[in-house]
Amino acid sequence: MYPRSYSVPVRHPPGRISPERRDPISLAEAEVHEIQLDAPTGLWREAWRRIIRNPGALVGMVFIAALIVAAVFAPLIAPHDPLAQGLNDGLLRAENPSRDYLFGLDRLGRDQFSRVIFGARYTLLIGLVAVGIGLSAGLAIGAIAGFFGGWIDSILMRVMDVMLSIPGLLLAIGIAAMLGPGLTQVMIAVGVAQIPIFARLLRGSILAQLDNDFVLAARSVGVRRWSILFSHILPNSLSPVIVQATLVLATAIIDVAGLGFLGLGPQDPSTPEWGTMLTDSNEYLQVYPWLAIIPGLAIVVSVLGFNLIGDGLREALDPKFRGRA
Amino acid sequence: MLRFVVRRLLLLLPILFGLSLLVFFWVRALPGSPAEGLLGERATPELIAAYRERYGLNEPVYKQYWSQLQSWSHADFGTSAASHRQVTDEIKDRFPATAELSLAALLFAVSLGIPLGFFAAKKYGGLVDHASLFISLIGISIPVFVLGIILKYVFSVRLGWLPGTGRIDVTLTVDHPTGFYVLDAILTRDWTTFKDVVKHLVLPAVALGSIPLAIIARITRAAVLDVQNEDYVRTARAKGLPPLTVDRRHVLRNAALPISTIIGLQVGLLLSGAVLTETIFSFPGIGRWLAEAIFNRDYSVLQGGILFVAFVFVFVNLIVDVVYALINPRIRVS
Repeated sequence: MYPRSYSVPVRHPPGRISPERRDPISLAEAEVHEIQLDAPTGLWREAWRRIIRNPGALVGMVFIAALIVAAVFAPLIAPHDPLAQGLNDGLLRAENPSRDYLFGLDRLGRDQFSRVIFGARYTLLIGLVAVGIGLSAGLAIGAIAGFFGGWIDSILMRVMDVMLSIPGLLLAIGIAAMLGPGLTQVMIAVGVAQIPIFARLLRGSILAQLDNDFVLAARSVGVRRWSILFSHILPNSLSPVIVQATLVLATAIIDVAGLGFLGLGPQDPSTPEWGTMLTDSNEYLQVYPWLAIIPGLAIVVSVLGFNLIGDGLREALDPKFRGRA
Repeated sequence: MLRFVVRRLLLLLPILFGLSLLVFFWVRALPGSPAEGLLGERATPELIAAYRERYGLNEPVYKQYWSQLQSWSHADFGTSAASHRQVTDEIKDRFPATAELSLAALLFAVSLGIPLGFFAAKKYGGLVDHASLFISLIGISIPVFVLGIILKYVFSVRLGWLPGTGRIDVTLTVDHPTGFYVLDAILTRDWTTFKDVVKHLVLPAVALGSIPLAIIARITRAAVLDVQNEDYVRTARAKGLPPLTVDRRHVLRNAALPISTIIGLQVGLLLSGAVLTETIFSFPGIGRWLAEAIFNRDYSVLQGGILFVAFVFVFVNLIVDVVYALINPRIRVS
C-alpha cells in the first residue's frame, strides 16, 4: 500500500456530531471523538468510503448494477424469447416501438427489448474475458520484466513496443483475422491487444517500488526473491492496474462491438450481441432508426458506467487525493 | 538536437524489425497456407504452385523472410485478391482520403478541445467546467460507430443538411492532382468543389474526432489546473502582468507539454477509428478498404495495409517526439 497516513482529517459523516449543530460539547471534543473513530483505516476501506461519496462513481455503479441485473435475470426480465421470430403476426419484418414491444421488432420480427436484455450477458462476458486475458498475460509479462530487469526486460519490452506500434483496433483486427471470425475469437483478439498496456503499466509500477525501503528491508533480512515479488511488491503495485482494468473494460466493450460491426463478431446472426444488432439495423436506419439507436445507447450506458467507476477508483486510490472527501 | 533525432531514429530500427517479423509470421498463421491466404479464395492449385515458386515459399523460413523484406523495401506488397491491383497503388489512391479525414478530425478535436479544457480550468467548479467534464465523459464513452450512425441519421437522413456518404458529389468531375480534395480545390480555385468536399468531411470528421476531443479537453483542463498554481504563475500575476499575457506566456506555454504529447497519441486512435468511420460514411480511404479486405478475406491487402498504417503510426510518433523535444529543452539534454 501507499505509506499509510495517520493524519486523518476531520470529517463529519451524517449521524455524527457536527460542530455546526451547537451540541453541548465543544468543537475540540467533537474533533477528538471523530479522529478516534476514523483512525487507522486501510487503503481499500478508505477508497471505498471515498468512492461511495463520489456522485459520478455512484451513477456508474447504478449503470453497471443494472447491466449485471439484466444479464443475470435476463430470462425473467425479457418478456419474449430473444430468438423467437415473427412476433409481428408471423411476419418477418421490422416494426417501430409500440406498447407491446417497447423497443420495437427487428427485421425478423424479434422483440428488440428482449434481445437488448439478453445482450447484456454477452457484453459482460466480453468485457470480463477480454480484460481477463489482457490483465493476466500483461501482469505476468510486466512483473517478470520489471522484477528481473536486464535482458529479459529489454526483450519483453521491445516485443510490447512492437505490439503498440500497431494501433489497438487494427492489432485486434489482425488477430481476429488470424483466428477466424466468431465471438470467442474476437474476445481473445481484443484481450491480446490490451496485453502491452497492462505489461507496461505494471512494469513501471514495480520499478517504482523496487527502490522502496521496505523492499530493501525484506531483501536484507534474506526474504526470497519470489516472496518479495508476491508479498511485497505486487500488492503495492496493483492500484494503477485496477484503475486501468476498469477503464479497459469500457474500451474492450467498444472494441468488441466495433469488430462485430465489421463482421468479425458472432457468425450466428441470431446472437443478440449489441454490436452485431447495430450492424444489422444500420441498413434500415431511414425507416427504423430505433433498431440501431437502442443497442447503441445500451453500449454507451455500459461503457459510461465502467468509465465513471474507473475515474472514481482513480481518484479514490490516488494518494494525492487521500484524506480529501 | 540532431543527436536526439539520430538516437530516436536508431531506436526505430528494432521496432520496424519486430514489426516485419510479426507481420511475416502473422501471414503464415492465417487460416490456410500463405499462398492460399494471399491469393484469396479463387486460388487454383496451379496458381498456388506458381505463387509458391515466385515468392520462394518452398525455401527455408529465414530465406523467405529475407526475400519478403526485400520486396517490402521496394514497396511491393503483392496484389489485392479482390481488385487485382497492386496493393501499393491502392494505398496511394486511398491514403490521401484517410489523411485528410484524420487531419480534419484532429483539427476539430484540437480547436474545440483546448479552449474547452482551458476555460473549464479557468472557471474551475463552474458551469463550463461541469459541461466540459460531461462532454468529455460522453465523448470517451460513445463508440465511433454509434456516434457516426446517430450523426448520419440526424444530419443527413432527417435534416438533409450534410451528405452522409462519400467524399465528393458524384456529379462533380474535377482533377485531383494531389489526391487531397480540399487542397486540390484550393489550388484550382474551384470553390463549388471546395464547399462540397468540406461538406462531405464534416460528419465523418466530427464522429472520428469525438474521442480525441474528449481526451484533449480533459488533459488540457488537468494541465492548466496544474500549472495555474505554480509559483512562477503567481509571481507573474503579482508583478502585475495583464492576465492575458500570464495565460499566454506562462500558463499555456507550460501546459502545452502534456497537451502536445496527448495530441500525438491520438494518431493511433484516428487511424483505428478510420476503419469504422469510413465504413459508416462510405468514405473511400484506407480504413474502409481494410474493412472490405476483412470481409473479402483479402489478406495481401490486410498485410500491406496493416504494415503501412503501423509505419505511419510509428513515423508520426517520431515526429511528435521531435516536436516535444523542440518545445521542452529538458528532453533534449537528457
